[in-house]
Amino acid sequence: MSFQVKYFGMLAEIAGLSDEVWNAAGGLTVGQFREQILDKYPAMREKKFKIAVNQRISEDFLLIETPAEIALLPPFAGG
Amino acid sequence: MEKAHKPKKVFIQGPISPDFVAKSIASHQSKTGIGAHAIFLGQIRADQKEGGPVTGIDYTAYEEMAEQAFYDIREAAFAKFELTCMHIYHSLGLVPTGEISLFVFVSSPHRRAAFEASEYIVEEIKANVPIFGKELIGEAGQHVWKENK
Repeated sequence: MSFQVKYFGMLAEIAGLSDEVWNAAGGLTVGQFREQILDKYPAMREKKFKIAVNQRISEDFLLIETPAEIALLPPFAGG
Repeated sequence: MEKAHKPKKVFIQGPISPDFVAKSIASHQSKTGIGAHAIFLGQIRADQKEGGPVTGIDYTAYEEMAEQAFYDIREAAFAKFELTCMHIYHSLGLVPTGEISLFVFVSSPHRRAAFEASEYIVEEIKANVPIFGKELIGEAGQHVWKENK
């Protein structure tokens, strides 16, 4: 399966890009995806972030169903 | 059942000018059911950091999700408070220290709803809208990422 991943703020800085296509072998939960992300970008282990699936902040147990747009959201700073 | 309100444009590129705020106030003179406006303006503060003072904040957002979040906040505020109208504007891009990055404008027949709604809306924006802020520091091009408390 593959899906779109978007990075924002300090996470885009760490990844060095603002979006990419993510390829995974089989089905993936949000928690499993988080582990893959942290393996690819170890510097994100020190950062707090939430994961949104199709613009909704999602719990780790949620199964990602394609097509999906995943976004990694660092702490909010509006205002 | 509260009627659904149309999504409105929230994001403005760069600072929100005092002139824009003034014109927004003036445009409500014909709405004579209004007895109270409450306005909240967020201004960029020159916090002292290692490396110097904050000179501005560069805002980015997950725009599609942010627009939905603003819409949800509007709907919730209309349901919770007796409001005649409501406007929310937030900057994207660079806003220098001393300039305005957030403009919340609520109008009601009476003051209590206006006061309470403006506080509610500002707190909801800070907690729930995916906006990110890079605080620019000093002359050397340093930055830190802002985090709402």
